[in-house]
Amino acid sequence: MDRKDGIGGRELTTKDLVEMYRLMLQSRCFTEQVLVWYEEGRLPQGLHPSVGQEAVGVGACYGLGPDDWVIPSLRTAEAFWTRGVTMLEQLNAMLGNAASVSRGKETSHHAGYPERGILAGTGIVGGSIPVAVGGALALKMRGSEGVMVSFFGDGASNRGDFHEALNLAAVLEAPVVFVCENNLYAQTVPAAVGMAIEDIADRAMGYGMPGRVVDGQDVVAVYAATQGAVGRARRGEGPTLLECKTYRFLPHYPIFEEKRPAEEIERWRERDPIEMLGRRLEEEGLLDEQGKLEMEEAIEAELQEAIGEAEGMPMPDPQEVFENVYREPVEAMGL
Amino acid sequence: MRTLRYNQALCEALRQEMDRDERVFVLGEDIARHGGVYRVTEGLLERFGPERVIDTPISESGIVGLAVGAALLGMRPVVEIQFMDLITIAMDQIVNSAAKARFVHDGALHAPLVVRTMNLGKGTVYSSQELEAWFTHVPGLKVVMPSDPYDAKGLLISAIRDPDPVIFIEHKALYRIEGEVEEEAYTVPLGQAKLPREGDDVTVVAWSSMVGVAEAAADSLADEGIGVEVIDPRTLVPFDRERVVASVCKTGRLVIVHQAVRRGGFGAEVAAAVTESEAFGYLMAPIRRVANPGVPVPKSGALHPPALPGEADVIGAVRDVMAYG
Repeated sequence: MDRKDGIGGRELTTKDLVEMYRLMLQSRCFTEQVLVWYEEGRLPQGLHPSVGQEAVGVGACYGLGPDDWVIPSLRTAEAFWTRGVTMLEQLNAMLGNAASVSRGKETSHHAGYPERGILAGTGIVGGSIPVAVGGALALKMRGSEGVMVSFFGDGASNRGDFHEALNLAAVLEAPVVFVCENNLYAQTVPAAVGMAIEDIADRAMGYGMPGRVVDGQDVVAVYAATQGAVGRARRGEGPTLLECKTYRFLPHYPIFEEKRPAEEIERWRERDPIEMLGRRLEEEGLLDEQGKLEMEEAIEAELQEAIGEAEGMPMPDPQEVFENVYREPVEAMGL
Repeated sequence: MRTLRYNQALCEALRQEMDRDERVFVLGEDIARHGGVYRVTEGLLERFGPERVIDTPISESGIVGLAVGAALLGMRPVVEIQFMDLITIAMDQIVNSAAKARFVHDGALHAPLVVRTMNLGKGTVYSSQELEAWFTHVPGLKVVMPSDPYDAKGLLISAIRDPDPVIFIEHKALYRIEGEVEEEAYTVPLGQAKLPREGDDVTVVAWSSMVGVAEAAADSLADEGIGVEVIDPRTLVPFDRERVVASVCKTGRLVIVHQAVRRGGFGAEVAAAVTESEAFGYLMAPIRRVANPGVPVPKSGALHPPALPGEADVIGAVRDVMAYG
C-alpha cells in the first residue's frame, strides 16, 4: 500500500514508514543502553541523549540522497543512523579505538562520515551553521544537485553565527535547509528565558527566507517539511528555516541533575514520537505488537554484538596523534 | 625583471590562481565592487564575475565559517578579513572549524582555505594589533607573513595551493613597497627562511614590516664594523628552525624583532627554540627581543616611540649584545 504524505519528496511507502519507525527505535535503544554502559564504566563517555527527539533527525534525513550532506548537532544521533552509520561504528567512535572513523581522534557526536554525506560538527554550539552554508555554496558552485542540511538547537539560534549564517545563505541563495530542533531548553535554561519570541521560525522573516513551524514529534511531518525545503533548495530557490518543536525526555547530559517540572516531562512523554508512529502503524495494520517486539529484539541483538566487537578492537598507536594535524608530519612545522 | 608593488603582487597571485584553478574564489568585505580597501582584489570581479568574487555582509565569523564549509566540500576559498583586529570575531571558526577539520576527519577531509588579513601597524587602538602569535599556538594552522612583493606573490600562491588552512598576514606599511616580481606564477615554499643580509656577529630574526627595519639597522651597523645577519623566516608555521639555529651557532648572538607585544609574542618561541637547541652552547650574550613593550598601540604619534619598535631600537639591542661580557 502506497500512501501520500505531506508536501514534498516522493510518496512514502509502507516500507518507508516501518523503516522510519525502526530507525527511531534503534536510536532510542542505543541511547538507553549506552547510558547504562556509561554508568557502569563500560564506556569512557556518555552521550547527549536525544530520547524524545528522534523524529527530527530521522524525518529530516530520511529522504536525502547520496549527493546531499548534513552536519548533525551534538544531539542529532538520528542523522547518523538515517545516513547509514551503524551502531558498531558509533560505539567504536565512543571508545576511541583504532577501528573508529577518526581512529580515536574524536568521539561519536563530533564524527564525520564523508562517504555518507556527514560532516563533523564542532563542539561549539552554533559554530557549524556557517560551515553548512559554505558547504551548500560549494555544492552549488560545483554544479552538484546536492543540498546541505544543518541541524542545531534552540540555544544555537541565539548565537551570532546563526544570524550571520542565515543572512549569508539568503543573499548567496545557498542550497541549505536549517533544521532547528527546538527542545525548549538551552542545556538548562528555558528557551523562553533566552528569547522573547514564541517561534524561532519567525526569525527567517528577518533574512528573507521562509520559516516554518513543524511538529517535531511527527516523523512524517518532519519528513514532508524537510523534503519541501530540500526541493526548494535543489531548484535554486534558496534556503529555508524549519523549526521542529520537540522535547528531550532526559537531562542534557547524564551528569546533569534534572530540574525541569516532572509534569512537563510527563505531558511531552504522551507525545513520544516512536509511540505516535507505532500507534499509527498498528492501527493501519502495518506493524503489530509482535512485529515491534521482534524489531526491538533484533536491534538489541545487533547492539550486544556490536559492543563485544567494539571492545575487542585494538586501540590506536599513540604515535598516530601526530597524523592528520597537517598534511605534513607535525615535526615538519619546525617548532 | 619588472617591478610591482606588494599589493599588486598579491593581486596578481590571486588572478593567476583563479585562472589556473576554478575552485579558487575570493570573498570578503568591500573586495568585489570596490576592489579591496588596499586594492588587493582590484579587477577580479570584472574578470571572474560575482560567483567567484563575492562581496559579503559584515559577518567575519560567518564568512570564515562559510569558507571552511566550502573548503571541506572541495573549493579553495580565499577570505579577506579587512584588518587583523577584526579577526577576533572569527576566532571560533579559525581555531575550531578550520584548524581541527583535518584531524577530526582523520584526513578524509581537509580545509584548504586561506584567510588573508593585514596588520595596520599604526592605526587606532582597535586597528593596530599584531596578533600572529595567537594563530601559531593552534595546531592545524599555518601562519605566513611576507615582507616584500616577491614573497607576497610566491607565498600567496603556495598558501592557496596548500591543503591546510593558512592565516596569511599582510602589512599596511608594505603595500606600497616596490620590488621585482616574476610575471609567471611561481611559489615560495612555506617553511623556508631567507637571509636578506649575511653577517658573522649578530643574528637578527625579523618578519613582516620589521624585516626592512632590521635591514636598515644592519646597513647602519655595518658602518660600525658589526656584521648583522638578518633572517626573515617568511612563515612562522612552519618555521625554519634549522636556519636560525645554524646562524646563531655562527654568530653566538641573537636579537628577535617583531611589532607585536613582547609578552607571549612569537619571539619568545624563537628564543626558547634556540636555547633548547645546539646553539645554546654558542650563545655569548643573552637573547634580546625588540617588540611592543606591552601597551595598546596609541593613536597619537607622540606616544609611538616607546610603543612601536624601530630602527634605533634594533641598533641599540645589537650594540647591547655586542657589548655583553
